[in-house]
Amino acid sequence: MSLREARGPFEGTMSIVFACTSCGHSTAMLTNKAETQMVRSLGVAIGGRTKEAAPMEMLRSRLQGRRETPIAESARMGSKCPFTGVVAQAFAGGGQGMQWSEGATARLNRIPAFVRPSVQRSVEDYARRNGLTEINTSVMDAVKGNLGM
Amino acid sequence: MKTYHDIASDGGSDVIGQVTAQRARLEDRLSLVDHVVAVMSGKGGVGKSTITFVLAEALAERAWCVGIVDADINGPSIAQMTGVRTHVPVLTPGGVMPPENREGIRVMSMDLFLAQEAAPVLWEASTQDEAYTWRPMVEMGALRELIADTEWGPLDVLLVDLPPGADRLPNLASLLPRLSGVVVVTGPTSVSQVAVERSIGMASRVARVPVIGLVENMSAYICPACGAAELLDSNVGDAEALATRHGVPFLGHVPFDRNLALAADTGEPFLERYAGSMAGRAIIDISRKVARFLTR
Repeated sequence: MSLREARGPFEGTMSIVFACTSCGHSTAMLTNKAETQMVRSLGVAIGGRTKEAAPMEMLRSRLQGRRETPIAESARMGSKCPFTGVVAQAFAGGGQGMQWSEGATARLNRIPAFVRPSVQRSVEDYARRNGLTEINTSVMDAVKGNLGM
Repeated sequence: MKTYHDIASDGGSDVIGQVTAQRARLEDRLSLVDHVVAVMSGKGGVGKSTITFVLAEALAERAWCVGIVDADINGPSIAQMTGVRTHVPVLTPGGVMPPENREGIRVMSMDLFLAQEAAPVLWEASTQDEAYTWRPMVEMGALRELIADTEWGPLDVLLVDLPPGADRLPNLASLLPRLSGVVVVTGPTSVSQVAVERSIGMASRVARVPVIGLVENMSAYICPACGAAELLDSNVGDAEALATRHGVPFLGHVPFDRNLALAADTGEPFLERYAGSMAGRAIIDISRKVARFLTR
């Protein structure tokens, strides 16, 4: 059985026609307003999708009173990290001889740019106070979990 | 006569495949999120969203990467509280980039899609009559999109600000099976505490989500002139006893603080200026307990 055609919506009702693939015998599924709405509410496409659902598809297509442009196209499409400049700057500021392990660096990069420099300073201060020369993820755990930052 | 199970396919719609793809998209998105924590209450007006907002702030101050999704589809408030109400989310190849507030908290809310702040949330349909049959499904679909289609990036925690009602958590738990826990918020009145008891029962027995603890909000009034704390006349409940009775941790009392109310109204960070206030200290202590629960 395959989808032959979908008619409607006509005032909320639909006729969806399926046909036997070997003999062509057709069967129509009729939906009333409520049934049509139920299927739409699942966020699925009758007859299948030819391409992946767009982000926020339901919100952008079915919400009444939505903003004219609810989502802006990015001017920097392709850039994965909007904070690379800030990160570079923070690192350029220097750890004054403090070594950061790969794991710790990755965790630092996950912190919002706004607070990252102060976090870096706090962690390095903690390491210095404790006589450490390298910051690894255990040091970050200690700062995060025990010092009440 | 053929039965449902004799039909080889659904005519090419592959509804099950589409729903499975929706779930897979959600799981993919959350694979970079260490913890998902719901903030709930059985009763409206206890300050659940305010607690979500300041808890996020306190965790961000602890260097956590924090996101908030406003699951209150019909009464969204988190965008205003975090000061991002006028921001427009940006489409990127990975999804929709959420706005960030001054403290780097990433926010996604229905409010970001509405043209007018006070407009009711309505969905296009040939009729709104008998919308009770399909509206809850659309709202869950909208929440799924708000979570799954947002490019959260790696997060230490995603806070989910639930609308009032004990039934909300089981619905969320079925959408997000790996909820790390729930913070339950109550007010000082016995009415709100009875409703919260139902919520705790729902969390532990039905949704089977760990209860991180109970917060009593608006537990006292702080005099803006002298800073003295005074119990409110309505403060007749005993939230700590309630927590003990249900075997859940009591996380703390947050007194009513007009500066907190103002911060939430204006979208200004609260802890940035008032971390040393009684409410600020209480929130920081609560965030420490939540962090400890999540990193244990």
